[in-house]
Amino acid sequence: MSETTREPDARKLATDARDRVRFEEDALALSDQVYRVARHLVGSREEAEDLMQETYARAFRSWRSFQPGTNLRAWLLRILTNLNIDRGRRQQRSPDMQPLEEGDYFLYNKLEAATDGPTDEEQVVERLSQNDVVAALSEVPHDFRDVVVLVDIGDFTYADAAQILDIPIGTVMSRLHRGRRILKQAMAEAAVGDEAA
Amino acid sequence: MTAYDPCAHCEEVMQQYMDRVLTDAERAEAEAHLDECAYCRKRYRFEETLRVFVRQAVAAEPIPVELRQKLLALRTPLE
Repeated sequence: MSETTREPDARKLATDARDRVRFEEDALALSDQVYRVARHLVGSREEAEDLMQETYARAFRSWRSFQPGTNLRAWLLRILTNLNIDRGRRQQRSPDMQPLEEGDYFLYNKLEAATDGPTDEEQVVERLSQNDVVAALSEVPHDFRDVVVLVDIGDFTYADAAQILDIPIGTVMSRLHRGRRILKQAMAEAAVGDEAA
Repeated sequence: MTAYDPCAHCEEVMQQYMDRVLTDAERAEAEAHLDECAYCRKRYRFEETLRVFVRQAVAAEPIPVELRQKLLALRTPLE
């Protein structure tokens, strides 16, 4: 092989290596944010850690399929949710099986009723503890929780959540609507239920 | 026919209002109602405070150091 053929090959390899290192650095820089979402998509911390490792291993193997300039965090979470489903960790439940939840003002009304004297909204929120929120979130069925976690905790748009979960945007909206209400109902039970006990 | 209840309507669109996905006309209607209705305004402020509280409550757990190390170890070794 002549020198002139080998030189572009070497340059291509060097560019490739640089792009790969850059990709890996960018993906790792997002690990905190990805973990925050992963932690609440699955039931336990151990599951979340396993899933994170599988996700990053796969992402590093298939880094070439990521389109630079698109949303890397969404791309990583798409891998993560697919792996989660593949592994059968999720028990799919039919939305029809879920109990009916209350309206949007339910949580406020419930907490306000349990608070003595005049209140402002911050005092009402203070009736909730961090544990109430975490426990309530884990009670929300998977299909609804995925969307609530991606939009309300992961700060993804409806469109990003639809792409990550591979569901229509209308489904994201309806699951978000119900998921938030189920979450509020669970938070009300945790906060006011604690009081009654 | 059921009479139009502006507070029930406000409750119905509250989350979309906060998500900023309403049309300009729907948004203006919601804002006009929130301006004049203390009952809904109080609940709207609560919803805003609640969102921040929920986010902070669940984001409190950072990525474990050992997991971060394991992810770093997955990087492709440099040749």
